[in-house]
Amino acid sequence: MNKEELIDKAYEVRKNVLRMAHVDKRGFISQSLGAADFLTVLYSHAMRFHADDPKWEGRDRFLLSAGHNAIAVYAAMAEEGFFPKDWLDTYGLDNSRLPMSCMPAYTPGIEISGGSIGLGLPIAVGMAMGLKLKNSDAKVYVMMGDGEMAEGPTWEAAMSAGAYQLDNIIGIVDINGIQADGLTNAVMDTEPLHEKFSAFKFDVQRINGNSITQVMEAVDKARNSTEKKPHMILCDTVPGTGVPFLIGNQKSHFISLDAEGWERAFSELERGKD
Amino acid sequence: MSNGIKSVISDSNVATNHPTMAEPFGNALIELAKENDKIIGLSADLAKYTDIHVFRDAFPQRFYNVGMSEQLLMCAAGGLAKEGFIPFATTYATFIARRCYDFISQAICEHNTNVKIIGGLPGLQSGYGPSHQATDDLAILGSMPNLTIIDPCDALEMQQATKAVAAFNGPVYMRLLRGNRVPVVLDKYDYQFEIGKAKLLRDGADVLMISCGEMTMRCLDAAEALEKDNIHAAVLHVPTVKPLDRETILAEVKKSGRLVVTAENHSIVGGLGSLVANLLVDEQVSAVLKKIALPDRYLAAGTLETLQDTYGVSTKAVISQVKSYLN
Repeated sequence: MNKEELIDKAYEVRKNVLRMAHVDKRGFISQSLGAADFLTVLYSHAMRFHADDPKWEGRDRFLLSAGHNAIAVYAAMAEEGFFPKDWLDTYGLDNSRLPMSCMPAYTPGIEISGGSIGLGLPIAVGMAMGLKLKNSDAKVYVMMGDGEMAEGPTWEAAMSAGAYQLDNIIGIVDINGIQADGLTNAVMDTEPLHEKFSAFKFDVQRINGNSITQVMEAVDKARNSTEKKPHMILCDTVPGTGVPFLIGNQKSHFISLDAEGWERAFSELERGKD
Repeated sequence: MSNGIKSVISDSNVATNHPTMAEPFGNALIELAKENDKIIGLSADLAKYTDIHVFRDAFPQRFYNVGMSEQLLMCAAGGLAKEGFIPFATTYATFIARRCYDFISQAICEHNTNVKIIGGLPGLQSGYGPSHQATDDLAILGSMPNLTIIDPCDALEMQQATKAVAAFNGPVYMRLLRGNRVPVVLDKYDYQFEIGKAKLLRDGADVLMISCGEMTMRCLDAAEALEKDNIHAAVLHVPTVKPLDRETILAEVKKSGRLVVTAENHSIVGGLGSLVANLLVDEQVSAVLKKIALPDRYLAAGTLETLQDTYGVSTKAVISQVKSYLN
């Protein structure tokens, strides 16, 4: 898919986010809108998979470590046909295949349970070791949050990923600046992330995670790299991107909207820019 | 070494009168790995102290040391299992049970992932004090759905169980008996380990001892000694603590009005004794039940022999407790 097509695709992904959040009239709306661009690039451009055969051995693995952002991942997966789009209308309901926090037993294409924050990179280390033992060229993508950088096991994993030169790991940190108790830098200052991951022997890039062009370039560079280092792409994102009135309403990790708010959200939803 | 300093791997076991075997777990793993290229070894800077160092030396390409990162150890094992491997992850039982609970739950057990977790120094096997005494691992890990829990008795069973858990598809926590002098006891009995099976090793009309792990060895030794005092003790060995072999335990308890004594190298809270007591109540089977177990407290540091006597889990202590219960 070219850049223009990906921008259109990101718009569809955002529509899916609102469609799901509207089921219960609330949710992790802002972050998922912010994550839509890089997830679109991953699912509709970079990653190798067969949506109709989600366990295909040659697939690139995608691990959502920050499990609460499942809504954003479902939104991108729906565009690639991992499941019928009418599943989106069941998000978070009883017997839904799309639970609020992702779990492999529920949803095709979901690799891990990500609700207990800080497990993604550690599990990726084992999968990356296993793929190397199998001589597979598949990548392990791990999506993490900036708040998650306060979790100790993330750094246990980073240390091993660097030491074992697990160059088949491509980490993504969604730096959206918000977490459960407020602004990330107020709850716990996890910066400087570039320097931290560099010190752990990662190849690090820091980009505007809402620029399709920048994300494409960064992901392509990481997945085509011959450098014997794990890769980390730090994505600065703006929560609410695509729905202007939600931008700046960043203090809420989990927001609810009234009927008027919903009407406004759907009507303000705009095609992405670059 | 040229400076005269030797690297010593201390043996956690106290002196034994039984014949011994060196590194039964590590050597069994080597044998398995020769046949199965999916076997992977992992440790967190305790390879030498969990006997997996012999596997590491035999299969260096299939061994990962993740450093002192136990949480990562569990997740990486989960990731390797997801990729179709059979990882054996080793560290001390205290770190497994206390430090890694969430990681074992979410990265392994929720998905029934095929990881084998091997815990060194289970129960009271160290004189270092509570940091190294996993007196609570069965209670903590017993609440984990999907997890099979095994507590082997001797070197022979350690080998048999290692092979059995490798062939079994699902997460396992197994207590480790390690070192260069692990006692061999079960060769004197017609015994073969099977996951989920309790086995009667000897029969006796006066007392039924229901035991797991190395306490079975001490119960067998105690039973022989009690025989001299005309006390006839049966020993039912329960190496699989979860899932419990309810049928065999109930059948033995129902056989006669024998005193029932459970024996475990574990806290009296939430281990084999608690499980047997629950079972009897659930099934409305009445018996006089006594529990030989470690007390519900943080244990002292010191020498292992003294500590085992003090806390009532040595052979000598088993004999005297059984006698006192019978009186």
